[in-house]
Amino acid sequence: MIETTNISVTLGRREILSSITMIARPGDVTVIVGPNGSGKTTLMKTLSGDLPYRGRITLNGVSLSSMKPWRMAALRAVLPQSTALAFPFTVHEIVRLGLTNGRSGALADAVANLPERALARVDLADFGGRLYQELSGGEQQRVQLARVLCQVWSPVLEGEPRYLFLDEPVSSLDVKHQVLIMNVARDYARRGGGVIAVLHDLNLAALFADRILMMHKGRIAVSGTVAEVLTETTLANIFDCRLMVGRAQSGIPFVLPQSAA
Amino acid sequence: MHSPLAGDQAAPGGAATISRGKPFARGEGDRSARARIVLVILAILLAATAIFSLASGASDASVLSIVQDWFIPAGGVLSERDHLIIMEIRLPRMLLGALAGAALAVSGAVMQGLFRNPLADPGIIGISAGASLGAALMIVLGATALAPLSALFGIYALPLAAFLGGLAITALLYRISTRGGRTSIATMLLAGIAIAAMALAFTGLLIYLANDQQLRDLSFWMLGSLAGATWTKLWAVAPIMVPALLSSPFLARALNAFSLGEASAAHLGVPVQFFKVLAIIIVSAATGASVAVSGAIGFVGIVCPHLLRLLIGPDHRYLLPASALLGATLLLLADAASRTLVAPAELPIGILTAAVGGPFFLWILLRRRGVIDL
Repeated sequence: MIETTNISVTLGRREILSSITMIARPGDVTVIVGPNGSGKTTLMKTLSGDLPYRGRITLNGVSLSSMKPWRMAALRAVLPQSTALAFPFTVHEIVRLGLTNGRSGALADAVANLPERALARVDLADFGGRLYQELSGGEQQRVQLARVLCQVWSPVLEGEPRYLFLDEPVSSLDVKHQVLIMNVARDYARRGGGVIAVLHDLNLAALFADRILMMHKGRIAVSGTVAEVLTETTLANIFDCRLMVGRAQSGIPFVLPQSAA
Repeated sequence: MHSPLAGDQAAPGGAATISRGKPFARGEGDRSARARIVLVILAILLAATAIFSLASGASDASVLSIVQDWFIPAGGVLSERDHLIIMEIRLPRMLLGALAGAALAVSGAVMQGLFRNPLADPGIIGISAGASLGAALMIVLGATALAPLSALFGIYALPLAAFLGGLAITALLYRISTRGGRTSIATMLLAGIAIAAMALAFTGLLIYLANDQQLRDLSFWMLGSLAGATWTKLWAVAPIMVPALLSSPFLARALNAFSLGEASAAHLGVPVQFFKVLAIIIVSAATGASVAVSGAIGFVGIVCPHLLRLLIGPDHRYLLPASALLGATLLLLADAASRTLVAPAELPIGILTAAVGGPFFLWILLRRRGVIDL
């Protein structure tokens, strides 16, 4: 479980996050939504151990501030929004970097072709020999996800659940791959791992989230199940525009923007 | 459940049900095998160049006769004079050249990995400028203000001053760019440019103050040369360069992770600050020592890693040793050329490396911008 108690983050003189208290459980896909500048990415960075913070964060009960980088890397993998490279690495070489920490959790005989497996998982089976820099933005993002999957391949290692932190994992993907990647995330959670993802697309959030945290001005404004959070009133208050919430036949809510006027 | 796609991931540790029944062809995009072959070829090339370098110069001992002289117990193939020339002049010079070349190329590769920029070089953060300032101080003020030092250290005074100059600049830069235990690589780059300019200004002042003989010494030193290499000089710098070179492979995995950016490297479990400091120490020691004995030899640090990345890719586990081998080979070739082109006189080696390296550097730039396509 990932638990934060009253964390605040100040960059320069501005307080970006104010007294955030949240829980992300293994087995769940926890989705963070919110308008631009509401602090979603800062929260992800703080959970990843990138930023100094006040308050308390624990990963599986252990305080984040006392954790060594390699210990953290064994518990969670982080997908950044985008990654540009200065050198001509092949796709295989990038995905293999996920094995740097040596704690993928895959069996010894499976580790050897883990990069190929991870690539197949994100629908890039034949891309190992391609140069990363020559891929499209969406393909690069999927390569990075394959690398991240390699790092924490088994969702549970030695009895401890592990986590995927995904910062806008589908922002440059076509619709087919958006669904594919979100399914990879949900599958990871179903097998005992935890997923925290920042999403802009409220409909994807509605489809795949077990819990939604809705952020506004550096705080968590609302949190709960999809049905609890995605209501017309809440959305209107937080996103400051008119949205219609309907229900698909399956009962899952969907969100449609209304005209701005 | 509202997903038709879930569940095709091979369960780790369990039966690996593979989607679409596709076999996982191992190693597509894995250039390790090729890199190993290139390493072997480079090692052979270096050995051949080393022998060739011993044989080239004003005295005409052949490659064959040198090898015979070494391996036939009674010796006697070479004349006493040639034997002396090879053992006391060319051998230390060859070893020093190989070490300096390897140090410059590895330093370049490490800096480029650290800065995530294929055009970075130890010169860029002012190490070479600091070393030059140290050397200029010793050459110009060695007889007056710094006389006690030059009396104490004798012929070591100049290399020592250069080495300390490089180290001092690096330490200063590190102080400036480190806040709260984190070194900002971007600040280091910018501050390095500023500090290099200041060091250059001081060096300029010293040049202005220098007399004619000092001026000659200074400009000769700045052009870079392996002339005057002796066993004593070699023993003075080898204890710095060899450990720096041997410890560079420990940086490889961290530099590979750095390619993704510092944050992602940390997420992969790499202790980022530790490796930054280690990289800076290795580079300043290797560069400082090499500049101290051979002057400012440019471009080896940019050309070698770049060529090798085209050949074997940027994986630092192979790039670092390959750079060492190619750097040593190129410097030995340049030195052999500098000794033979205008024999019995000698060209400063820095002129050669810059004359060849400059156009090469330009070619890299233009090719990247698509101006020329070669």
